[in-house]
Amino acid sequence: MQHEVFANTEDFGGPDIVAGPGRVSRPGVDVPYASYELGKPYDEMFARDGKVRLPYASVDTRISTLPLEELTRRQQACEQSFLHQGITFTVYNDNKATERIIPTDLLPRIVTAKEWDRIERGLTQRVHALNLFLRDIYTDGRVLKDGVLPRRMIYGSKHYRREMRGLPVPHGAYVNICGSDLIRNEAGDFVVLEDNLRVPSGVSYMLANRDVARRAFPGVFRAMGVRPIEHYPLELLATLRSLTPFHEDVSIAILTPGVFNSAYFEHAFLARQMGVELVEGRDLLVNDNVVYTRTTSGLKRIDVIYRRIDDDFIDPLIFRPDSSLGVPGLFNAYRAGNVTIANALGTGVADDKAVYAYVPRLIRYYLAEEPILENVETFLCREEKSLQHVLANLDKLVVKAVGESGGYGMLVGPHASQAERDEFAEKVKADPENYIAQPTIQLSTAPTFTGNGIEPRHVDLRPFILHGAETKLVPGALTRVALKRGSLVVNSSQGGGSKDTWVLSQ
Amino acid sequence: MLSRVADSLYWMSRYIERAEHTARLIAVKLDSMVEQTPEDAAASWARVIQALTGEKVPALHTDAFAITKRLAFDRSNESSMITSLALARDNARQVREALSNEVWENLNRLYLRLVPVTMDSIWVHTPARLFREALEEMHALEGVTYSTLSHGEGWYFLELGRHIERVQQLGRLLDIHFSAAQDGNAVPKYFDWLVLLKFCTAFEPYTKQYTASIRPQKIAEFLLFDSEFPHSICFSVDRMTEALARVAPGAPPARRAAVERLAGRLKAAVDFGQVDELMSGGVAAFIADITKQCEQIHKALYSSYITYGAETVL
Repeated sequence: MQHEVFANTEDFGGPDIVAGPGRVSRPGVDVPYASYELGKPYDEMFARDGKVRLPYASVDTRISTLPLEELTRRQQACEQSFLHQGITFTVYNDNKATERIIPTDLLPRIVTAKEWDRIERGLTQRVHALNLFLRDIYTDGRVLKDGVLPRRMIYGSKHYRREMRGLPVPHGAYVNICGSDLIRNEAGDFVVLEDNLRVPSGVSYMLANRDVARRAFPGVFRAMGVRPIEHYPLELLATLRSLTPFHEDVSIAILTPGVFNSAYFEHAFLARQMGVELVEGRDLLVNDNVVYTRTTSGLKRIDVIYRRIDDDFIDPLIFRPDSSLGVPGLFNAYRAGNVTIANALGTGVADDKAVYAYVPRLIRYYLAEEPILENVETFLCREEKSLQHVLANLDKLVVKAVGESGGYGMLVGPHASQAERDEFAEKVKADPENYIAQPTIQLSTAPTFTGNGIEPRHVDLRPFILHGAETKLVPGALTRVALKRGSLVVNSSQGGGSKDTWVLSQ
Repeated sequence: MLSRVADSLYWMSRYIERAEHTARLIAVKLDSMVEQTPEDAAASWARVIQALTGEKVPALHTDAFAITKRLAFDRSNESSMITSLALARDNARQVREALSNEVWENLNRLYLRLVPVTMDSIWVHTPARLFREALEEMHALEGVTYSTLSHGEGWYFLELGRHIERVQQLGRLLDIHFSAAQDGNAVPKYFDWLVLLKFCTAFEPYTKQYTASIRPQKIAEFLLFDSEFPHSICFSVDRMTEALARVAPGAPPARRAAVERLAGRLKAAVDFGQVDELMSGGVAAFIADITKQCEQIHKALYSSYITYGAETVL
C-alpha cells in the first residue's frame, strides 16, 4: 500500500477507439460545447453555420463522446507529464518561488495538407528573401540604393550591427532558425503577423505537445494520418552541420544563458535530442581566435555555436560590456572564421516591425515573385498620412513599438481605456518612427479545454524554418493559445499556452 | 565532459546521498524510539542531530516532532532532507542533457511529491512510513540511474559524489558512537549499537558475517573494513578509487597524478587498517584522518579537472 503522495498521476488511460458517426454536436447547445460561442473570427473547428468542419470530424466524435470528467482527467495527465518533465517556469511572488508549467491544452489544432503546402512554400520564399535582404544590407546595400526602403530605417535601427558589414556567412544564410508567426484571418486565410529572426523559441513545446496529445488521443491520432515532427532535432543538427566547412568531427554546442532563462528547458531538450554540448558563457573561452570549452580532460575546440543569447549579450568586448552571459573574444573568433554562430549576428534588423511592412516588396525585389503568404495590413507611423490615420483610429487599431517583442510596448486599441489610448497617442507622436499599427486582427479561434467545458480561444501558428545549405520545414508548428476568454495575447510571458498542431498528410 | 557538468553531477549525487542518509536515520529513529525509555530515546535523538547537522544539543530538549520537522522539512536547515533534494534537483536541472530522462523525472517526481507534505499529515499514523517510502524512491532512483545512464565519465562523477559523501556521513556517525565516552556524552547501549547498524542498513549483512552477537569492535570492523558491504568505508573508498581512475581520461598525466596519488594513499590506509589497533581509542583519529583525506581528494579533483586555470593548458 503506497502513501497517497506517491500515487501515479500521469495515467492517460487506454487507447481510445473512434466511435461511429450519428451524433451532431452543436456549439452553444450540446455538451461539451454548451458554452462555445461562435463570434466574428474564423473558428478552426466550426463553420459559421455551426457545422463541424470536415478535418475536425474525428476529433469531434472523440471528445463529444467522452464524459467531461474523462477529458478533465486526460487534461490533468498532460499537465502532470509537463510538470514531471520540468517544462516549467518560475514565478516569484512574496519572495517565494513557485514553479508553473507552461500551460498546454490537450485538444489538437488541425492544419490540412493543402493549407500546409501553401504555408511551407510561402515561408520558404519569405526566409529566402529575408536572407538575401540581410546579405544585401551587410554588403552592398543595393536595396537601399534602389530606394526600396529608407536608409535610415536600416542604419538607424538598434539591431543593425555595423560589426557584421562585409563579413561572409556560410551559404549566405544569416537566419538559420526562423520562427514566423502566422494567423488565420476572418476569411480563413493564413497571413504572416511577424517574423522572429533572432532567437525564436517554442520548438520544444511543439514536440512536447505532440508527445502528450498523441498519448491523450492515440486512436484519433493514428486514424487521421498526422505527419510526424519528431525528426526536427535531426534536421536542426543537419542545418547546423552544414554551416561549417569541416565535415569530420564537427563540434557543435548550444549556448544558453543558463538555468534561470525561461527557455532553459528548450535549450537542454535540444542539446539532449541532438547529442551536442549545452554550454554557458562561463564554459567557453577564446584563445588566439579559437573558441574552446573547458572539459575535465582539458580544452576542446568548438566549431558551431547555436546561440540562444541575444546579440547584445554575446561578447562583452564588442557589445554590452556588462554582460556576464557571453564570451569575451567570441566575435573576433567569429570574424576570423574559426567558429560559426547561428543565427548570425545582426538578424534582428530584419524582424523589426517596420521592416516587416516591406517584406512583400522585398520578396518581389529579390526573387521577382509574388508573395505566397500575405502580410497583415500595416500602417507605418513614420509616414505622415499613416500617422494621421492611426491617431484618428486608435480605438480600432493595434499599435506596436517596432523594436519590442513578447507582447510588450503595445496598445490593443479596442480593449484599452480612453486614458490609455491618450497616453499611448502621446508616445506615438513623440517618436512616430518607432511605431506601426495594424487593424485589430481577429486571430482565429480553436476549441480549447477550459474549466467550463470546451470553449473557443484565439490561436496563432508558429512554424519553424531551418535554413542552411538547404531550407526545410518540419510539418508542424507551435500553436499558441490565448487562454483568457476573448484575449488576443498568445505570448507565454502574458498568460498564453500552447497546443499540439496536427498537419495532415492529405 | 564539460567541467561545469562534472561539477553539477558530482554535487547532485552528493545531495541525493545526503537526503537518503537523512531519510534513513529519521525512519530508523522514528521506528526504534518506541522501544526505548524516554532518556535513552533522547540520547539517541541527540546523536542523530549531531550526525546530521554537526550540532550538539542537550539530550533533554528532544521532541521527536520538532526534530523530525527540522531534519526533514526545514528549508532554512541547509542539510535537511528537502533542502538536499532541492539542491540535487537544481544541479540535475543544470545538466539535464547529461542525464537520462528517467533519472531526471524520477528525481523531479520525488521532489514534487515531497514538497506539499506537512508534518501534521504524516504524524497522524505512522510517521516513519513516509521516510521509508522516500527511501524506496531514492533506491529506485539509484537503480534507474544504474540502468539508464551510460557508465561513462558522468556516471563516475556521480559515483564519486555518492561515495565521498557516504564516507563523510558514515564517518561522522561512527565517530559519534565510538567517541561518546571520551566526549562525555551518553554511552551507547546494546540497543543503540543495534540502531547504529540499522542506520547503515547493516543489520542483516552484519549478522550474516558475525552472527547476531552485537559487539562494538565487530561493528567497527564491519563498517570500516568490510569490502563487500555497500555502506562500509572500505567499499566506498574502493568505488572512489575506481571512479578516479575513469574520470577525465584525456587529462595530462601531471594533473591526473595529483589526484591518483591521494586516492592511492587513502586506499592503502583503509586496506591495511587493523581494527584491534584502533579499538583503544583510535577509531576517532582514524576516521578524522580518512575524512581529511577525502577532503583533499575533493580539492584535488576540483583543481585538476574542474576549476583549473585555462592558461595552464594552453
